[in-house]
Amino acid sequence: MGSPDFAATASSQHRQDRSVDRLKYRIALGLFAALVAALAAVPLLAANASFAFYLMVWIAMATGMNICVGFTGYLPFGYVVFYGVGAYATGICFKLLGLPIVVALLAAGLAGAVVALLMTPTLRLKGVYFGIVSLGLATIVRLLISNLPESFTGGSMGLILAGANNPTHSYYAMLAVMTLALACVLWLSTSRLGRQLRAIKDDDGAAACIGINVPRVRLKAWLLAAIIPALVGGVEAWYTNVVDPEYSFHVLITAKSIIYGMAGGFGTIIGPVIGAIALVGIDHVIWERFPLINLLLLGMVIILLMLFLPRGVVGSLIKRRPQLRRYIA
Amino acid sequence: MNSLLIQGLLNGLILGAIYGLIGLGLNIVYGVLRVVNFAHGEFLVIGAYFAWVLLQYLGINPLLALPISFVVFFGVGYLLYFLLVPRMSKSDDPETSSLLLMFGVSIALSATLLLVFEADSRTLEFAIEPVFLSFGQIILPTIRLVALLISVLLVAALAYFLYRTQVGKALRAIIMNKDAVSIVGINAERLSGVAFGLGIALAAATGVIVALVFPAFSPFMGNDYTLIGFVVIVLGGLGHPIGALIGALLYGVTEQVAAVYFNPSIATILGFSLMIAMIFIRPSGLLGQRQLR
Amino acid sequence: MLTVRNLRKSFGGLQALAGVDITLPDESILGVIGMNGSGKTTMLNCINGIYIPDSGDIALDGASLLGLPVHEVAGRGVGRTFQVPRVFQHLSLLDNLDVAQTGSAAGNDDRYALSEYWLKKVELLRLRHNYAEELSGGQQKLLELARIMVARPKVILLDEPFAGVNPQLAQMLIGIISEIASRHHCAVILVSHDLTSIYQLSHHIIVMNEGAILTQGDAATVKSDPAVIEAYLGA
Repeated sequence: MGSPDFAATASSQHRQDRSVDRLKYRIALGLFAALVAALAAVPLLAANASFAFYLMVWIAMATGMNICVGFTGYLPFGYVVFYGVGAYATGICFKLLGLPIVVALLAAGLAGAVVALLMTPTLRLKGVYFGIVSLGLATIVRLLISNLPESFTGGSMGLILAGANNPTHSYYAMLAVMTLALACVLWLSTSRLGRQLRAIKDDDGAAACIGINVPRVRLKAWLLAAIIPALVGGVEAWYTNVVDPEYSFHVLITAKSIIYGMAGGFGTIIGPVIGAIALVGIDHVIWERFPLINLLLLGMVIILLMLFLPRGVVGSLIKRRPQLRRYIA
Repeated sequence: MNSLLIQGLLNGLILGAIYGLIGLGLNIVYGVLRVVNFAHGEFLVIGAYFAWVLLQYLGINPLLALPISFVVFFGVGYLLYFLLVPRMSKSDDPETSSLLLMFGVSIALSATLLLVFEADSRTLEFAIEPVFLSFGQIILPTIRLVALLISVLLVAALAYFLYRTQVGKALRAIIMNKDAVSIVGINAERLSGVAFGLGIALAAATGVIVALVFPAFSPFMGNDYTLIGFVVIVLGGLGHPIGALIGALLYGVTEQVAAVYFNPSIATILGFSLMIAMIFIRPSGLLGQRQLR
Repeated sequence: MLTVRNLRKSFGGLQALAGVDITLPDESILGVIGMNGSGKTTMLNCINGIYIPDSGDIALDGASLLGLPVHEVAGRGVGRTFQVPRVFQHLSLLDNLDVAQTGSAAGNDDRYALSEYWLKKVELLRLRHNYAEELSGGQQKLLELARIMVARPKVILLDEPFAGVNPQLAQMLIGIISEIASRHHCAVILVSHDLTSIYQLSHHIIVMNEGAILTQGDAATVKSDPAVIEAYLGA
């Protein structure tokens, strides 16, 4: 082309800039690594790892939701469909097809990806419409599964995965899924794909004008966001040995994923993790003491959050002190 | 024609009218406030319980409870508006924020109902003589015909309000252009409160009708009704009340006719599939504006 | 070279473009002036793929751009700025430019060097870590320009780049635009109401009115054309 030479001699300024940027990702990486290590140690130290198990479930779900909301800009009210489909894929593969549990779990991830691909046409829809359609789809899938013959899906009674019980292995499987989720989101925030997603979220028309293939980029993120809850559903089915349409497609699963993520703030990657940890902890304490008003408190938390801290705890902190942006990914 | 089929069609019309009321309520709130009332179904269920309480403890006839609930919940909605919504309009993404806020409200409401009334379903013990009316081969519960009549009257009253009264016309003006209304000197905030109150009142009144028509209701039914309201809006087009009515009739008839031949779950599946098909064939709904990204 | 042949576009009953022909040689600057509603922005939107014309053809270096999705038109080397700058508010300036090099096979360092070059050119380098939303309107216009240039376009479409810009900034812009055409081998279509800048920069000017070209020529020709004076008042 003959235009002025831009051949890179990686300028020292560039290296400086990169290390400024990298600081916050290093901090996030450190936090995540510490979290994974702590959770890995739990079964070795405590008799009952159930609380830690569900903590991992919600960290993964909130992180997956972060990919949908924070990165891609969709509010999937039917998010639970991936979770349920993953649980059922695992249940069917293990119970009805007799496949080993590892294969069944991989099938869960695959099932999530397939459903996400089938939903591709819905990605064109605007905010509220997308939310409604996704909720409708989740309901349809739930009803379909309840009504299919028992030999296919266990009907409305569900499936019992007798013989799969292995709390330790399933615990570490969930640890792997959570680690995968955290790794995904860390990767997304530093990668080109992540930047493209954020650009699309800001102004999708302008993003197209600068050459970004908006539908394709959205689809990639959507697939990632779908596989995580699918795997979570599969592992949870292994852990509890039960799969049933009412529970595996319960709207509260979507609700909690959104709330826990929102409590921390969807604009960052550590926000949803912190939100999940805080709220699962609070939920646990309250459930022990006041089981009856648990649901009411959840609703109140959402209301108060949206009224006073709409960007979540971490998000609001950054808004108040923008200089913290250097440290919080 | 098969008399069962005709019954299905008639039931579809009756239910369609009820669904239409739900859609109308949602539309008014959305049209004026750009708030998607996720808690609409819960207010409906609260209306049903309200009528039950009035009957059970005060001996008040549900037909009377209907206008009472309308007035009471209008007030509730009006107050709730000022408590919740103005903050939302200041956030980064008001539509998403209000969606999530109302979602929280819906959870809080159904949890409260659960606490107060427990999970067992209730029935409104109210009978009209004669219980059934027959037209040849076709048998319809009288109460459903009464419900249809009430629904039609409500819609008519609403139409009169929106097209013939000052306040109603102002509401329609806001739906068309929110900023222009403030310039002209109407108090947009108060008007928005009225709109919200109206939407909630409609929801509660519809709840009374639902309690009359259906054998039982329980705290968690709200979700299903909210979803139906959404389906109706999608079919008819967001922001178009008349479209909502047409969409509701379409959905009601599809659901009830399907219920004649298949089990209720399949009927619901068909209804929702209709909604999804509509989104792709005609995304703006039968009458609405384009809603694509 | 960009060629536009007999471009037509209507919206309902309104004819926005009634047959427009343009030839834009490499490295030239085409000024486009005309009243509001004369079809200038519609024409730009057709060229960059936002609208699909009812009829006519648009070709870049012989290959037709008709019917291509917006991102592909951009990939072929067409950049576009908007009357109200559409930068990515929640991305840093550096990220805004990096994300625009989406089709580039260049490595991190090369992309950074290019971003640095253009940020320096629009005098925004020291703000490179700030988020775009922190910039003023004029600065955002400059950012938008830098953003389309890092993609090494062949043609850029500038929609009212001088609107709302102070005289000092305008001078800088004039210098940059002129350099873009001559040194960066990029053709420019410049839509503006700022006649001074148009006369100064353009090799060729077209005057649009009601969706068609009223007259065209160099600055002297256009200034003295009675039809233009009448239609455009004091051109």
